[in-house]
Amino acid sequence: MPESVPGHPLVSRRFFLAAAGAVSLSAALAACGADTGSTAAAGPVSQADIDKAMSTPTELTFWTWVPDIDQEVALFQKKYPAIKVNVVNAGRGTPEYTKLRTALQAGTGAPDVAQVEYQYIPTFTIMDSLLDLRPYGASALKDKFVDWTWGQVTGPNGEIWAIPQDTGPMGMLYRQDIFDQYGIQPPKTWDEFADAARKLHAANPEIYLTNLSTSDAAPWHGLLWQAGAKPYVTSGKSDIAISVNDEASKKLARYWGGLAQEGVIGAEPDFTDAWFAALNNGKYATWITAAWGPVFLAGSAKSTTGKWRAAPLPQWDASAPSSGNWGGSTSAVIKTTANPIAAAVFAQFLNSDPESAKLFATKQFFFPATKALLSDPSYVGDAPEFFGGQQVNQVFADIGTTVNPTFGWPPFLDQVVTDWTETVGKSLAGKADTVAALDQWQSRITTFAKDQGFTVKGS
Amino acid sequence: MTRRRSTPLTIAMLAALAYFLLPLFWLVVASTKSTEDLFTTFGLWFSDSPRLFTNIYGTLTHDGGIFAHWMLNTVVYAVVSALGAALLAAAAGYGFAKFRFRGHSAAFNAVLGAIMVPTTALAIPTYLLFAQVGLVNTPWAVILPSLVSPFGFYLMRVYAQDAVPDSILEAARLDGASEVRIFFRIVMRLLAPGLVTVVLFTLVATWNNYLLPLIMLNDPSLYPVTVGLASWGSQAVGGGSGANSDMLALLLTGSTLSVVPLVVAFLLLQRYWQSGLATGGVKG
Repeated sequence: MPESVPGHPLVSRRFFLAAAGAVSLSAALAACGADTGSTAAAGPVSQADIDKAMSTPTELTFWTWVPDIDQEVALFQKKYPAIKVNVVNAGRGTPEYTKLRTALQAGTGAPDVAQVEYQYIPTFTIMDSLLDLRPYGASALKDKFVDWTWGQVTGPNGEIWAIPQDTGPMGMLYRQDIFDQYGIQPPKTWDEFADAARKLHAANPEIYLTNLSTSDAAPWHGLLWQAGAKPYVTSGKSDIAISVNDEASKKLARYWGGLAQEGVIGAEPDFTDAWFAALNNGKYATWITAAWGPVFLAGSAKSTTGKWRAAPLPQWDASAPSSGNWGGSTSAVIKTTANPIAAAVFAQFLNSDPESAKLFATKQFFFPATKALLSDPSYVGDAPEFFGGQQVNQVFADIGTTVNPTFGWPPFLDQVVTDWTETVGKSLAGKADTVAALDQWQSRITTFAKDQGFTVKGS
Repeated sequence: MTRRRSTPLTIAMLAALAYFLLPLFWLVVASTKSTEDLFTTFGLWFSDSPRLFTNIYGTLTHDGGIFAHWMLNTVVYAVVSALGAALLAAAAGYGFAKFRFRGHSAAFNAVLGAIMVPTTALAIPTYLLFAQVGLVNTPWAVILPSLVSPFGFYLMRVYAQDAVPDSILEAARLDGASEVRIFFRIVMRLLAPGLVTVVLFTLVATWNNYLLPLIMLNDPSLYPVTVGLASWGSQAVGGGSGANSDMLALLLTGSTLSVVPLVVAFLLLQRYWQSGLATGGVKG
């Protein structure tokens, strides 16, 4: 294909993703009509069958993007020497999903197990691509994992679509030195946060209390989650209620849109050159982020070592603390696997075996999904110098218990986040009316969902 | 022709020069910095502690030297595709320029139409076809689609029309040369400058190709450098698990290294490239 546009891979990729998403969704919906009995749970697989499968020489293919995951896989192979796991780094996030969707459509080339982020699970279950892990003993793992993570991986009829690996409950990282210099207390509520934003920017026009990303819908969804919104509720395979402009969302839009219009917070894309520089040079005094943020920040803002601290998110209602999640991922078994038992056992072992789970926390610096690790003193007691000796893992472990377990994701997330950037993100960046942008977002998603054959219920 | 200086034109040219060279300069400067310096020092100048060689070493040794593997893959894919595409384009262009056959203009129009089809749109159908015959996740999945270049064909047809005189062909036929012999011994030589143009076009296009290898290849050891660097990029930034901003320094150094061979190829072949373009332009 020599005539692809050199130097513009992103443009063509985005175009392609939209096209691919559209194709696969219609295909999935068309398929549901014919395929009715698929959600009924199959009977449990007997222990004898599991033992037999785990001692039969088998090869599994595992798509992931986790660096050095071979260490955890080696633990599995030590316990089950008959099973050989081929680890394929298929790219983090979108590149992997693109490949996975193409392979699923072609009916060949898909892996047995894949790394899937929480928010993308419905994107694949709508295509009937994931294996329900209940017959393979996954239900017994429920109590090992943090409650809200289990809510994320289970389907409406109790299906268990994936096993949690790591998480990102949201909190606030702030610059203690800047707060001290301008006499600001870490805000406990969003009202205090807004006051602090005005005070700080008035005291020093070069500094903003925080930045809200205009390019990434993930923090917005996390904040929606914290505010108790239920923007996407699916029932059955083709019914969805979309309400991204309900009262909880409008409260959020008025708040952040207002601060952006006042010009007391930054509103720029995150993970850019300028954004990294801003975190280094103190332009932003806080980063509203998730539990993976502390390690990430320590790596990318080394010049600010010792100046940061962690705190829970400011609250809408200080008497009922809550938070949302941003990031984290799971292991899901792809339904086309020829070795469902071995694949299911692998997905479960990788994330629930105490030794393997601990390796993820200590080698990959993943924020754990298991209750055992989050109460393990050697993990939560860690006191990194970057945060002045504060036990940041403990802070986020506590936040994790306040995350609402019933937040759900739409089955066409790619479209939803693209539309977010073009409506809400754009309004924040342009200091326009963010509440009005919510209505545009709502109508774009609704139109898309209807075009894909969903029955969309009220807004 | 008199030499005249035009100040507005000079300024416009300088602006254009800056527009094209500054990003490259930024990239070169950035690849001498540590991740920390990337964000704490001025982007368009070197930091106090340049570490280009540390970065290059880091890039080449990360993950068991996978970067060198990617570069090699890209070279193989690009060179094989470029040579193959040039040969096919020359054969087809010559055929259409010098022979009349049934369906001549219909076939030619079909090829012209193919130039307009964005290859992105063909990536998924191509995958589905290749999946049927088991070519997915092999080097062929990237090379075969790159062998067909409608634009190269069009260029060669226009070029062959005038660069290959009918009299030479007639003389060769009278001397008893076979058509195959005529093509390889006579026509290919006459077409050489145009061929280089097609080679360069295809080389650049395959070198930069992203989407096709992204969906066709699953095994990182088969990746070309575009897909490989993108996978490093997605590991370096973005919210979520496994992000590691230390990858940014490697990513930038890798990007710099990945454009060097292309620049070299361009400088070496630019003589032919210019003559090929000019000929196509004047005579087309």
